[in-house]
Amino acid sequence: MAAGSLDGLVPVTVVAGYLGAGKTTLINELLAQDHGRRLAVLVNDFGAVNIDAALIAEHTGRTLSLKNGCVCCSIADELGDALDEVLSLEPAPEQIVIEASGVADPAKVAAYGQGWPGCRLDAVIVLADAETVRARSRDQFVGELVTRQLRRADVVLVTKCDLVTDPELAGVVGWLAEQAPGAARFTRRAGQLDPALVLEDGRAVEGTTRRRTLDDADAGAQAVFESVLIELACPVDRERVEAALRDWPQSVLRVKGVVEFRGSGKLHLVQRVGRRWRIEEAPAGLGQQHIGKLVVLGLSGTLHHGDLAAALRG
Amino acid sequence: MADITVFLARTVRTMEPSLPVAEAVAVQGGRIVEVGTLETMRPWLEFRSHEVDDTFKDLCIMPGFVDPHLHPSMAAILLPMHFTTAVGWDLPWEDIGPVTGDEQFRTRLVDLDASLPTGEPLFAFGHHPIWHGPIDRNALNQVSATRPIVVWHRGYHSLAVNDACLRWMRLDTAAARRHPQVDLDAGRFFETGLGLALRHLRGFILEEVRFRRGLDRMRQVIHHGGHTTIGDAALGFYGFEEEWDHLQAVMERPDTPFRVQLMPFTMGPEGDERTDEELLERVLAYPSRNTHRLRFSDHVKMFADGGFFAELLMLKAPGHLDGRHGEWMTPPERFEAIARVLWNAGLKIHVHCSGDLGVELALSTLERLQWERPRFDHRFTFEHFGVSSSQQVDRMAAVGALASVNAYYVYELSEAFATSTLGYERASQISRVGSLERAGVRFAVHSDFPMAPAKPLNNAWVAANRLTESGAVMGAGERASLDAAIRAITSNAAHVLGLEEEIGSLRWGKRADFTVLEADPYEVGVEALRDIPIWGTVFEGEKFALRDG
Repeated sequence: MAAGSLDGLVPVTVVAGYLGAGKTTLINELLAQDHGRRLAVLVNDFGAVNIDAALIAEHTGRTLSLKNGCVCCSIADELGDALDEVLSLEPAPEQIVIEASGVADPAKVAAYGQGWPGCRLDAVIVLADAETVRARSRDQFVGELVTRQLRRADVVLVTKCDLVTDPELAGVVGWLAEQAPGAARFTRRAGQLDPALVLEDGRAVEGTTRRRTLDDADAGAQAVFESVLIELACPVDRERVEAALRDWPQSVLRVKGVVEFRGSGKLHLVQRVGRRWRIEEAPAGLGQQHIGKLVVLGLSGTLHHGDLAAALRG
Repeated sequence: MADITVFLARTVRTMEPSLPVAEAVAVQGGRIVEVGTLETMRPWLEFRSHEVDDTFKDLCIMPGFVDPHLHPSMAAILLPMHFTTAVGWDLPWEDIGPVTGDEQFRTRLVDLDASLPTGEPLFAFGHHPIWHGPIDRNALNQVSATRPIVVWHRGYHSLAVNDACLRWMRLDTAAARRHPQVDLDAGRFFETGLGLALRHLRGFILEEVRFRRGLDRMRQVIHHGGHTTIGDAALGFYGFEEEWDHLQAVMERPDTPFRVQLMPFTMGPEGDERTDEELLERVLAYPSRNTHRLRFSDHVKMFADGGFFAELLMLKAPGHLDGRHGEWMTPPERFEAIARVLWNAGLKIHVHCSGDLGVELALSTLERLQWERPRFDHRFTFEHFGVSSSQQVDRMAAVGALASVNAYYVYELSEAFATSTLGYERASQISRVGSLERAGVRFAVHSDFPMAPAKPLNNAWVAANRLTESGAVMGAGERASLDAAIRAITSNAAHVLGLEEEIGSLRWGKRADFTVLEADPYEVGVEALRDIPIWGTVFEGEKFALRDG
């Protein structure tokens, strides 16, 4: 069983977006950062990944092993093979991140994450370059593709925000809200590190309270995300939880927890990433300490414990 | 043995405008010494010893047929399977009639099941719901409860299996249930779901003995169609080095009556280069591996939009009839950047393009490159050329482009695409060879086998008649003339491959490659082109009959 995953399946996060949207930069940061996770990152173009040689532990065939426990594997046209390769690693990765090709329909890549043996889909994150995304959306060759990629997003990350003025950025963000209704939207500025966007925090259910998820090691960076723990007296009404998952503000990035629904007698796993949410039966063997705890992760300063909790309790 | 062999024929069609018709071809050492009559070639026959071969005295000698674009490796996977297509396939080992209707499809599977040894999996290729109705796990279980059965869709993008096959595959059923493109109850795997099925099936279909048997069948198919040269238009779908090894083992033999011109991908599986220099270094190194029959040159392959059969073509307005979307196989910016590197290195670029937006990407890139760094005789070739406009054809003429067209689309797909994908106007004008001819754009026709039958005469027939499988004419204004249709499988096909100094027509110095026909295509006329029986071929001076005796 993959550590940190309650259902034994390795979560797969798809990072998509057209060329130049900043996918490789994000991947490079994920690989280089000391976030304490054994990530497996599948990339299209090995050549573009820029890893400090001092961090590389081993390079065999299509796989690069790093000293921080992460691996980077080249997809080389056969996504299923690359998934099998990293899933067979010992120890298994805690999470897989797939860098979709710039012209991929994220839904197709997501289908692999959802239905490949040993995996399940975490979320589709689509990157949008603040400076060029609107012009690209009108391009005769890629316009339709760029807008379709955005429509498939659970989370939209606006990149290269430093290259535009604040009013321009506000315009782009407003436009993205129309293109990807319902998706969570976040902006990213140079120097900001945001592993929380990509990493499914499997350990959150262990009972973390409010904490900063942004890397403290980078003294210059501001915390972008924070998490809030909500404790519920179980059993709860299922409709109430579903409504909250649906209606909580789009500044909520992730939700994860275990609850018991009224009348069902069974424990359920509750998750949301951006607009994608699901409720499923929890695997056996969860301890009492998990029950009734929901961890909500979102944009720093936007999470109000009282409002979030009120939505659940009615 | 004499120095020179003189082949006599009722007619020799040289495809050389200076001497279009002759009666004899003198050959020495696999090359043509002279074309003419016994009388005109007398000086040669006086200087050197000779013998006369009159095997073809009642037949017609043509330049050896050239199909510049097919895929031996894909064929190697498909040919060991059993064909169940709605349109019949005349294969060297079996003439398979059309399989139409639900009941006939089922009967064909039952017959196949009865004919195979116990335990051997049954792979059937060519199911299409338009003709065969839906097929699912239950229906296949009724064919056999014990034999694994895989039914492959004609468009390659889905398959259906029975329970015995699910057991054989050792499928992770929980994963299959989660997969959005697997319908486990129906036993259907489609689009990305195919990856899950192939995870289990690939080992079987790519296994060396089976693959080489398929490749050997491909060898027969190529000879059967009357080819003496083919282009493998993208080596490396399943692994470049493995395919290269298989090709050498199966094709490079004294009894193989054709040569294969190989075109490497300039992106894709082998294309992980960091720099342009690395890309060029790889491409330019391939010819150093050349053998007698297997040859790389300075022609390279690129991909614009997705496949025509798979309906992944990219279209300009008004788009797809049913609102679906095509796919780019290469990001447009990346496409232009790679094309620029190849163009500036003087390479000859062939671009797979299916829809008019795919054509537009290739064409606007070519226009830009011509502006930046003009080249003459660059051989930039539009491959497949499904949907296009006559204005695009005029622009192609203006920048010196060539085309290698899959004319067969008209025969099998135009009517179905009129109702499902393109609407009638666009569908009736796919593969517009008539416009190419009028604009003076040199074009070949190809099979893209296994997409279309590897039969040059049949492809020329479709180009000149534009008849569909049901007998309707689609886009009469886009018919090629008889002469253009014949050139499209001989001289112009050789030109597209850059081999015009060596093959494609009959004159002194060229390879002695002939396709020998039982009638003269210029006499039988366009309607009967595809029905002309093929005696066989001559490859580099050696006779290869299709039938013994």
